[in-house]
Amino acid sequence: MANLETSLAGIRSPNPFWLASAPPTNSGYQVQRAFEAGWGGAVWKTLGDPILNVSSRFAATSFNGQAVAGFNNIELITDRPLEVNLREIEETKIKYPNHAIIASLMVEPNQEKWHEIVKMVEAVGVDGLELNFGCPHGMAERGMGAASGQVPELVKQQTAWVKEVAQTPVIVKLTPNITDITFTAKAAVEGGADAVSMINTINSLAGVDLDSWNTVPNVAGKGAHGGYCGPAVKPIALNMVAECARRPDINVPISGMGGVSSWKEAAEFMLMGASNVQVCTAAMHHGFRIVEDMIDGLNNYLDEKQIGSVAELVGKTVPKYSDWGELDLNYRVVAQIDTETCINCNKCHIACEDTSHQCIDMLKDEQGNDFLQVREDDCVGCNLCSIVCPVDGAIEMVEAPRKTGEEPMTWNERQSLVSMMGVK
Amino acid sequence: MREHAEFMLEKEKIDALIEDGYEITAVQENLEGAFVQFSNGEKQAHLHIESADARKYFSFLLKKQKEEAAST
Repeated sequence: MANLETSLAGIRSPNPFWLASAPPTNSGYQVQRAFEAGWGGAVWKTLGDPILNVSSRFAATSFNGQAVAGFNNIELITDRPLEVNLREIEETKIKYPNHAIIASLMVEPNQEKWHEIVKMVEAVGVDGLELNFGCPHGMAERGMGAASGQVPELVKQQTAWVKEVAQTPVIVKLTPNITDITFTAKAAVEGGADAVSMINTINSLAGVDLDSWNTVPNVAGKGAHGGYCGPAVKPIALNMVAECARRPDINVPISGMGGVSSWKEAAEFMLMGASNVQVCTAAMHHGFRIVEDMIDGLNNYLDEKQIGSVAELVGKTVPKYSDWGELDLNYRVVAQIDTETCINCNKCHIACEDTSHQCIDMLKDEQGNDFLQVREDDCVGCNLCSIVCPVDGAIEMVEAPRKTGEEPMTWNERQSLVSMMGVK
Repeated sequence: MREHAEFMLEKEKIDALIEDGYEITAVQENLEGAFVQFSNGEKQAHLHIESADARKYFSFLLKKQKEEAAST
């Protein structure tokens, strides 16, 4: 049994699974249910001046029968008075002292406003603060959330204001709705952040109803952009975590989120540099008890790998992530088709012939049976055939032996050599 | 023509020059590929290299040429 305890900038929790600030953490009742189910921590739904919400609020995208491949919402921060939330936070913290409770905060870019709310939430015993510079909808129209999170100077300034009075660790939650998240992550660090968390939701419109021509969701026939999350956003979130994790000047812990649906994504985020993970959509889709599978799965994985503590995973893949220019141009993988396993559906041939490099031949053996064969010399190792193949193990991508002239060389090395040759 | 066959044709031309004692002396790359100048000290030769693998290949030769020059 591995040790799943984690520490994010000193905020300890019995496991790395926190509920993200979102509808699941709207009230003490919910957060206490979550802790009973096994969640290690919860980031309370964002506190600020209570807002007014609309109906309807959520929408999901399905893909080929996979429900909730992505999730879109236009719900805003808490609509409950601060006093009510603070009372429930205090009660919950007393009942569950070993679980982490983090208060997500959003106020106007005003020093006094930040000072006021930080002091109030810390007085009820939160373990940390998460500054919401990420929500892309509604609040951003009022200059908060992503609107201030897209301006590095505002991220730095507001973080610094919070740090002037905060007694607990300050996590800055970043928006993905920006060209390069490392700019705002660095600004948070410069403002004194103890940790950063990412990603908040991505600007989105879930769909258009083809009968009514209304947007999905719509409010009395009118729509507005929302925030997108769920399994579909994982690759975007993972890259943003990785880009921050590999920057030496973003030298604070990262809380990773965006499409964490099982222990596997959690392990990926941690390998890529996150000290823990936050989850929302999976809990909304399957309920709080999904954390049991996450804990069991992570435990089993660590045991199989003979790793004693989940903390040992953190950042192990970061040194393997680099710029494209540092990749070896001469490394080659090629596809190999196992004709015993192959069902001759020809998906690989069609994919290769139509959209890749035309290197899978349809042949007939001596008995006249069809079979598929890769011309390895023409295969560029794109992986497409193995991606579209419906049969596990039928296509394997294998490392091709290097020939003379295929010694390791990166694009950067090559360009350096070519530039030294001059122009004829 | 298949890409590997294109590469092999261009590689043969490059190797033939190298075997004849030529070295790469200039490279210009543009939208049409790479224009590589070779010289054996007396004569010059030029190749228009189009295939991606052959452009990798002459880069390897450049590296080798540089390493050999550094060791002499």
